[in-house]
Formats: sequence, C-alpha cells, structure tokens
Amino acid sequence: MPEIAQEARFIGSVTALSMHEMQNILAIIRESAGLMGDILKVNAKVDFKHRPNMERTLEHISSHVDRGKGLLEATSRLAHSPDEDLLEGCDLTVYARTVALLSERLVRLKGAAVNFAAPPTAMPVAVGALRLLMTGYKAVQWAVGAGVKDGVVHMDIESGKDFHVLNVRPPAGIDPDLDGVAFLGALLDDGKVEWDGSRLRIFLPVRRQG
Amino acid sequence: MNMNAWNILLVDDEVEFVSTLAERLELRGINARVAYDGESALKSVAENEPQVMVLDVMMPGMKGLDVLQRVKEAHPQTQVILLTGQGKTRDGIEGMRYGAFAYMMKPLDLDDLIQTLGEAINSDKGTPHA
Repeated sequence: MPEIAQEARFIGSVTALSMHEMQNILAIIRESAGLMGDILKVNAKVDFKHRPNMERTLEHISSHVDRGKGLLEATSRLAHSPDEDLLEGCDLTVYARTVALLSERLVRLKGAAVNFAAPPTAMPVAVGALRLLMTGYKAVQWAVGAGVKDGVVHMDIESGKDFHVLNVRPPAGIDPDLDGVAFLGALLDDGKVEWDGSRLRIFLPVRRQG
Repeated sequence: MNMNAWNILLVDDEVEFVSTLAERLELRGINARVAYDGESALKSVAENEPQVMVLDVMMPGMKGLDVLQRVKEAHPQTQVILLTGQGKTRDGIEGMRYGAFAYMMKPLDLDDLIQTLGEAINSDKGTPHA
C-alpha cells in the first residue's frame, strides 16, 4: 500500500472513532433536551415566568443537534472513505450529498450557500469515495471563487449509460477560472471534467454490477 | 396501538443516553428496560424475553453484532433494531443479514423510533409475544 494511502487510512480511522463519540454526545444532548421538553408538555398547565425562554432554548438545542447530525454524517463518510476505496467504487448520490454537507461552511465563508438536488436512487460509479469527495469538494471551492454576496452553488446529478454526471453550477456573478477545470480533471484517474458555459460537468464512469 | 403492553429492552453502554431514552419512552406509556453491555443484555433477555431489543452495534466487550447473533439463535421471536454509527451503514446491512429487523442512526428521532418499534412488534415474526 502506498504511504499516502496508509496515512489517509490512519487519519480516517482516528476521525471515525472520534465521530462515533460525537454521535454519542449528540444523542445524549438530544435525549436530555427531549426529556426536558416532554416534562414541560406534561406540565403544560403549569405556567412560570421563564417557560417561553426555556421552550425556545430547547428548540435551539434540537435544531443544532440536527445541524450537527448532518455534519457528523458527512465527516464520518469522509473518515470511512479510504476504506470504501478498497471497494471498487461508491454511490454518487450519497457522496455528492456528503460533498454538499462538508462544503457548507466553506461556501458560507464566501458569502454563498450550497444547494444539492439529490436523485431518489443510488448511482454507483467506478470511482473511489475519497477521490470523489476530493474532486467534488474542490469543484465547489472552485465554483465560489473569490466570493460572492448571496449566491448559491447548485449541485445536481444526471444519470447516463456509460457516465453519471455531477453538475456544479457557480453562483451568478462568479467569473470562473477556466484554468482550474484542467486541474480538477487531473484529480480523476477515470472520468473527466468539462465546463459547458454555465456548469462544471464531472463525468464519472458507471460501475457495472457483477 | 396499545403501547402500554410493549416489552422493550434498550442496550447501550452510554448510560445517560439509554436511561434518558427509557424515561422518555416511559412518559409515553412504553415499558423499556435497560442494559449497559452485551452480557447483561443476554441475561436480561433470558430472564424476560423482550418483544424488541434496541441494540447499539459498537459497545466495549461483546460487540452488538455478536449479541444480535446470540439473541436470534436462542430467541428468534425477539426483534432487534440496531443503532449504528453515522456513515457506517455497512454494520446495519450486515446486521440485517443476521436477522435484525431494522437499523437506525444516533442521535435518534423519538417518533421514528416509536414507529419502528410498532412495526417490529406488529411484524409477523414479532407477534407471538404475549
């Protein structure tokens, strides 16, 4: 195994274990806040001065646990991706969603948001999970460029006979750096990346079953 | 759904998680016992066979998938819902192969859990429990 792969697997295994702990921490926070909410509901007729503040705070806890859960799921997938690479491909639907979750913060720092329209079905591709995550993440990074105010990066997937395509559309107002397209293409051993005038199109070979 | 008659066993080494979850279920009229490791879970199942066991896959000592196999061998009517890690759906899929009814990820949505418990209890394999 090449040294870099060993290192990636090491980082992945340590991160995955830490994410498992984070998952337990979030679960305890959710159940504890949930129990407090249950008790408030059971005693709905008991009024006290700070009830609205407490109810609002519990809603905040719940919504941020959901936010953390999404990030946790994405980070766990990233951590497990070197192991997934031992298989001969991955599900584009799952990993494109992971790219969208992982890049949320990056995109927000550039003044934009990311939107992913997920297809309802699995789309197996013959590209390793880690490689797909890296290419997708770099594509989103490329798409927001130096930044834009209130823009949206749109991601979607098209299915095809030989290639499934991950489309990444930069926000309006971004002037794409076309030199970057070749760099993104070079990240993929199989597959290719093209710019069609409005979207970056990442072609990923379909994984054949059996 | 008469949830008062349900007999549930929750198994997880995260004591605060599993005891709080049991308390929340109890507030909804669901009787849920707890065990904090695989050995205690097997003992609890032998003493009072639950209709459904909610079982964490990743515990110190006996692993969740080993507990699952032991329970399905000795008590095939007990339905098992696995709790797996985020991004570790492979554990869940493997568990389904060993006879788990379903797998869910932590942190749980309580309404989803109660619905899945109901489905497990009303499934063909789960009904013989009195």
